[in-house]
Amino acid sequence: MIRTFRISFSLKNTYRVNTILYSLKQIPLIRKILPQSLYRSQGLKIFANILSGLWEIAGTFLGKVLYLLIMVFGLGMLYENTGDGRMFVHILFFLSLVGSYMNTYMFNPSNDKYYAMILMRMDARSYTLTNYAYAVGKCILGFLPFTIWFGVERNIPLWCCLLFPFFIASVKMLIAWNYLVDFKRTGESRDENLPGKLGWILTAVLLAAAYGLPYLGVLLPMWLMAAFMVLSVAAACGAAVYMGRFDEYRTLYQQLLAKFRNGMDYKATVKAAVEEQNRKLISQDTGITSSRKGFEYFNELFVRRHQKILWKSVKRQAVICLFLFVGILFLFQVNEDIRKQINRMLMVFLPYFVFIMYMINRGTSFTQALFMNCDHSMLTYSFYKKPEFILKLFRIRLREIVKVNLLPASVIGVGLPVLLYFSGGTDNPVNYLLLFVSVMAMSAFFSVHYLTCYYLLQPYNAGTEVVGGTYKIVTWATYIVCFLFMNLRMSTLVFGTVVTCFCLIYCVVACIVVYRVAGRTFRIRN
Amino acid sequence: MNFVIEHLSKAFEKKQVLKDITFTFDSGKIYGLLGRNGAGKTTLFNCLNRDLKTDGGDFFLQENGERAELAAEDIGYVLSTPTVPEFLTGREFLKFFIDINEKSIADIKDLDEYFSIMNIDEEDRDRLLKDYSHGMKNKMQMLINIIAQPKLLLLDEPLTSLDVVVAEEMKQLLRSLKKDRIIIFSTHIMELALDLCDEIVILNHGELEVVDPSNLDNGGFKDKIIRALKEEEND
Repeated sequence: MIRTFRISFSLKNTYRVNTILYSLKQIPLIRKILPQSLYRSQGLKIFANILSGLWEIAGTFLGKVLYLLIMVFGLGMLYENTGDGRMFVHILFFLSLVGSYMNTYMFNPSNDKYYAMILMRMDARSYTLTNYAYAVGKCILGFLPFTIWFGVERNIPLWCCLLFPFFIASVKMLIAWNYLVDFKRTGESRDENLPGKLGWILTAVLLAAAYGLPYLGVLLPMWLMAAFMVLSVAAACGAAVYMGRFDEYRTLYQQLLAKFRNGMDYKATVKAAVEEQNRKLISQDTGITSSRKGFEYFNELFVRRHQKILWKSVKRQAVICLFLFVGILFLFQVNEDIRKQINRMLMVFLPYFVFIMYMINRGTSFTQALFMNCDHSMLTYSFYKKPEFILKLFRIRLREIVKVNLLPASVIGVGLPVLLYFSGGTDNPVNYLLLFVSVMAMSAFFSVHYLTCYYLLQPYNAGTEVVGGTYKIVTWATYIVCFLFMNLRMSTLVFGTVVTCFCLIYCVVACIVVYRVAGRTFRIRN
Repeated sequence: MNFVIEHLSKAFEKKQVLKDITFTFDSGKIYGLLGRNGAGKTTLFNCLNRDLKTDGGDFFLQENGERAELAAEDIGYVLSTPTVPEFLTGREFLKFFIDINEKSIADIKDLDEYFSIMNIDEEDRDRLLKDYSHGMKNKMQMLINIIAQPKLLLLDEPLTSLDVVVAEEMKQLLRSLKKDRIIIFSTHIMELALDLCDEIVILNHGELEVVDPSNLDNGGFKDKIIRALKEEEND
């Protein structure tokens, strides 16, 4: 058994090391330095082995720390604390129950199990038992230092801190026991990643108990939880005996891992999922037709068959914005304070709207759908790549995406000056105009920006993966810049003028650049 | 008309996939491009279709001794995995294609006539392409490339995943198309190449070479091809 474990561990380590090397090879600058034969290089292997070791340690401890800090102590801080730490115990107690069936280890169909038991035909029983024991040990060892450390600090009794990691492991074992018995009876294996309707409802109930009850001031009594924990740990011994005697692991995993049979290729699986998802965006409505011709015909059909992500979603945005504005107008009537505050905000808060306009823009969804459902295939036809056709379609698409985004933009563009007027107005009437114009300009800017980036940096390869590094950088930079604008306070007069001018200039320049080079850049990447 | 490749080369990092390829293809013939896995057949096609930048060399058409650039519309490229715009119906795709190319297509036929050439059933013509089977998508892709009448037609393993009936239909179609154009057909299946192609060209060590069938019977010719393909191992 120890031999099986050693082999399976080194197998897992080997592919982890190779994954690390592969990931290194994907980083743009490092890719150039690394040799083709990197999987043979001893030095790199040692480096990756160290990383892999660190990964194992991080997997043991780091995840648990974060889990405790965020889910238990972090969220627990939001409540009024009674001081004896009982609430933290209460939360962790219920979360552990959720974890018992959402994270069983044994019923998780993972790659390493497939490699070892199916591909390498390792003995399923000894593989499962040793690796399961290792996983349970890791769980206890990973939690123990932190339940003690954080627990004692928050006045939780030491015995409870010591008992908790064993409790967490024990409920997992009890569930696994139950699933094994179930398998013996029905011949159907469970998959922890598919908890089913009942599982999700149970999760919702348990989460409500974890976080909802403390909110209402109800906490389980300590003695009750303690009794449950002790019982659970004791019962887990029974589970361990059953697992040790269970003799159908091979059949169980044969079934659980069946989905891997159709290929282990992660990329292919992701690709198929992405393609499927995009295919679903295409409307099946047979009533959709077009009376236009050529590229206009092509574009109209595309837009109308992608209503769901284009027009429908902007219409929804527009309605929500409208309701918000009406709501705020109503608030003006009832609360004088809010009215004054909004008036002040409207005069300095325009930079904030850069981020809002960024968030509501449909540019990314549009370009993504364009590639996945249209250009991905069309770019393999040589007639489609004629420069004059590329530009013709670019013009049509630009018009379309600007139009789509202008709908919510115009609601915001009209809404803001109206709010300004009813919140007390301004001395300088130019502000009304600027609010409107700058919102419209920003909307046009984002539309142009996304489409231009798409045409100039077309980032996808034939496998619909994003391979263009520059494109990723530009997308991130756009996000960060827009995000930073949220912190900027500047008078609407100044900011509105600057941003409008910038947007107009950008749009003109972008279109000129596209006209010059898109014929060459708009290609499927390799 | 000839299609000429001169000193074409392409490397990925240190791996030289195409080494100084020089070759002349004659019109009216179907060339079977054979090569082992990873020999670079798809790379060669991607270079010719200008989806990949070459490291060096040139390729062009030669008509009556005069050199003419190979324009995008001169090439048709049919991939092994058929790619069609899934949001259109078969009929819409065809209409769009003919709309924008009406000036360059000689004697435009009725749309249904085109579908009939490819044996695409009437009830399938108005279905979204996303609901087409693999073979039907392949037919659509082929149909577009046929109507466009490119001077050079590149086919990358196009028949491999088709059922026998469709594959046979496609073979007939390709034979009827070869007049006045050059068809290069890449495949792994030697029997298919022998059955369909007029010339067998091998991509080996990054170079193209013709296998001459002179005086050999079918079995002897096969052996010769295998030997040529195996050469790599004896280096």
